[in-house]
Amino acid sequence: MKTVIPYPLAVAALTAGLAFNVLAGLSPGQVDFGKFTPPGDGGQFVEVQIKSNLLSLAAQLIEKQQPDVAKLLRSVQLVHVNVVGLTDENRAEVTQRVRQIQQDLAPQGWEQTVTVQDKNGPDVGIYIKTRGEQALAGLVITVIEPKGQAVLVNIVGDIRPEQVAILGEKLDLKPLKDVGAALKDAVPGK
Amino acid sequence: MNPSSHLLRTRPSARRLWLWGLLLAPFLLLGLLGACVASCFRLSADARAVRNELIKSSGAEWRQQIALNAGWLTLGAVRAGLSCVRLDPAARAALQSIHGAGVGIYQLPAGTPPPNRAAMLVAADSAMTARGWERVVGVIDARDLVAVYFPKKVPMHRLKCCVLVFDGKEMVLVSAQGNPEPLLEYALAQPGLGDRTGRLARR
Repeated sequence: MKTVIPYPLAVAALTAGLAFNVLAGLSPGQVDFGKFTPPGDGGQFVEVQIKSNLLSLAAQLIEKQQPDVAKLLRSVQLVHVNVVGLTDENRAEVTQRVRQIQQDLAPQGWEQTVTVQDKNGPDVGIYIKTRGEQALAGLVITVIEPKGQAVLVNIVGDIRPEQVAILGEKLDLKPLKDVGAALKDAVPGK
Repeated sequence: MNPSSHLLRTRPSARRLWLWGLLLAPFLLLGLLGACVASCFRLSADARAVRNELIKSSGAEWRQQIALNAGWLTLGAVRAGLSCVRLDPAARAALQSIHGAGVGIYQLPAGTPPPNRAAMLVAADSAMTARGWERVVGVIDARDLVAVYFPKKVPMHRLKCCVLVFDGKEMVLVSAQGNPEPLLEYALAQPGLGDRTGRLARR
């Protein structure tokens, strides 16, 4: 028997499938920063993308020695860092892109918790997306240093503020302790 | 059919087979040894793929300085040989962790303009993605290019990793396979690890 699927139906199904895949691919706390091109004239470019497969492997490895840190690593799904050096060629374009990312966050349910804006200094923004009352689904940090670099950080997962603080305490990392304390205050219900 | 006549018929052919086997065995062993030695100077398939793409994208002629590879057989023999020797615990942990490793060093001839590192990174990405790897770290700074790749599926006891470092003149490709557990256990057992990581973080 010959089965014929109507062409418009096939196209609609394919489009719906692709759209579903795209939506399903992003976790609630994940932000797609897009692809950044390294500056051509020797400018700085750093991209770090550690996904859950490597994080859970790391958690397995340190489970015995540092169970708290392992627990935190298991709760994180993605750590994504982009650093793009700003040069005369790319400054306007990269700054515009970061501003666009900042603007797109609010309609997607992100809450801006920290803003630092100085005329000649860095422009810093910390955004959080909460999961329930006591946990974060994601954290985004944006930094634009007009004469230096643009930094974008996205941490995705079921992040509990006290876990970040524990990680900071265990490893004696002051910046992590500060972020942990800030998150404790930022998450409602704590 | 008489069974003894059947035996008489098969015995000479079996003997002939044994004879051929004995005659061919040294050649087979030599061939195997040759293949083992040759494989020591040949990078792993993944590292070769990324190297070829990098060389193609750079548009320059590279000089191979060294290409060494030690597979599980070589490293297993080294491990077995050193099992009775008193070794530094760090060296022993490293030896237990690494089950296979390869390194390739390539140099640009003097006077060659530095290739576009962004294009090299894109080429390396496409070569590795096609082979089921993903880039975890990518850094371009001044003249340096660093990229670290891991397979998309990461089995705990057979972890693979490929690292590329280019400083504008020399490109180093390192691929390794193994179980990081012994090395990590050793590192985490070191006293004052927290102090040291703290100091590094404060820098």
